[in-house]
Amino acid sequence: MYYFYIIVSAFGRIGFGITGNPKERNKQYCSHSGGIVDFVFLYGGLSTHAKALERTIKTQYTDHIWMIDDWATEWLNDNVSIEDFQYYVNELITERHFKLALVAKDFNFNSQ
Amino acid sequence: MSFNLTYQDVVRKPNPMVKINPMKQGSGKIVNLQDRVDKLNKNAAWKKTKKSWAEQGKVFDVSRIPRFTMEELGLLDIAEDVQRELDEKHCANRIAPTDVFDPALLQPALCIKTSNGKYISINSQHTVSTVAALIDAGLVPGVTDWRTFKFPFYYVETDSLAFARRAFGVHNGKGSKKQSQYMQLRNAVYIVRIDKETSDADEVAKERQVSIAEQHECFPVEVGSDYTKYPGTFTNISTFENLSDEEIDMACAWHNKYFHYEGIHVSLFFIYRDLVRKFKPAKCKVTGQLEEELAALIQSLFGNLAQFAESCKAVWSSYTENKHGYKDDWNDDIYAEALLQLYKKFGGQEKLPKALLETHDDLVEFFDDDILNLAP
Repeated sequence: MYYFYIIVSAFGRIGFGITGNPKERNKQYCSHSGGIVDFVFLYGGLSTHAKALERTIKTQYTDHIWMIDDWATEWLNDNVSIEDFQYYVNELITERHFKLALVAKDFNFNSQ
Repeated sequence: MSFNLTYQDVVRKPNPMVKINPMKQGSGKIVNLQDRVDKLNKNAAWKKTKKSWAEQGKVFDVSRIPRFTMEELGLLDIAEDVQRELDEKHCANRIAPTDVFDPALLQPALCIKTSNGKYISINSQHTVSTVAALIDAGLVPGVTDWRTFKFPFYYVETDSLAFARRAFGVHNGKGSKKQSQYMQLRNAVYIVRIDKETSDADEVAKERQVSIAEQHECFPVEVGSDYTKYPGTFTNISTFENLSDEEIDMACAWHNKYFHYEGIHVSLFFIYRDLVRKFKPAKCKVTGQLEEELAALIQSLFGNLAQFAESCKAVWSSYTENKHGYKDDWNDDIYAEALLQLYKKFGGQEKLPKALLETHDDLVEFFDDDILNLAP
């Protein structure tokens, strides 16, 4: 099982990423931000499809990617809401037949 | 065992590239220099550069601008330790071919003028050598001696060979913005489409390649441009140009039929290169069924071709490390070999060339278990 997650930072910025170990990845975010940050939506499924989904977002959702100088981060611009982004992700998964499903909400390293 | 993966249709949405394709027609826009000055003045990098000039007290010394004159070719010397060796084939095959040579395309002799009145070439020896040799061959009507033939010289007065050496580097690429593969292709296409000029067979062939791709909603675009976010775009121009018309037609048709919602990964071109070139001698046929089943395999196991390509690179690393004890450099042939071996592994029944299946015969076993476990 491999995962694609949508995260909201302590400042309210929406981000995304992939991991094989969501608990460890969440711990890293918490450690850097100095507080609990949730993976608001956690999708699980085929590793190649999770990676393909992330790649698609990075190439086709590029107008909404938060840039630091010339560095394209894995965070989105201020004006992107969690609803808008989750709708986009769900649409990609459905339309492109990615073998991924929502497996958890508000997930963090303490989750069971 | 039969092939049990099925391609699932993806809703086709209008591709904005059909309307905004920059290859389709030039903008026809001509701007004055003020437009460019305004652009620079708004640019952050330019503002930073201006600031550093001010901070360092640097000013533009106009007396250093090179000067222009018409001088006799006989006055020009070539310092062999500044310029490269003369490449005779470059003169014969690139500058002087009958279908290419046009005096209007000759560039001025770039040189330094020393305090004893000598001109030393910085970057022009192939041009001036060709011109002098054409005169020497009696091919310039009315001109009998190249030594007294006046040619445009663009020069800086200095005795410094260090300057000449540095200038040679600048004029040969160092510090200059090179024309990209995309810009070269676009120029060729514009010459045929906009200028209606079809005397250069190479330009005509390139325009034809682009037209074939466009028929299938596939579009060459510049690396890093805003266009790359749109489906059907690709940036690897040199691989595209190395394909035959048939290979481009088949590759782009397949992409547009099955992956019209994705950008084009360069692996598409390598795969179709090998499907066409290696199927024919083996008397195998790229059937519609094979193409659909390959699309089903890519979609079901990898999501898209870009992810398939990434997986192939990991497979090749593992394979070579296992076989040879080290990770070998990437090999573009692996895309087609891995794809067809996977196809067989998943029960594909179409006839395939042995050359693609057996060159690295157990490559397929190095895909991740979560892929291989899906095989019947």
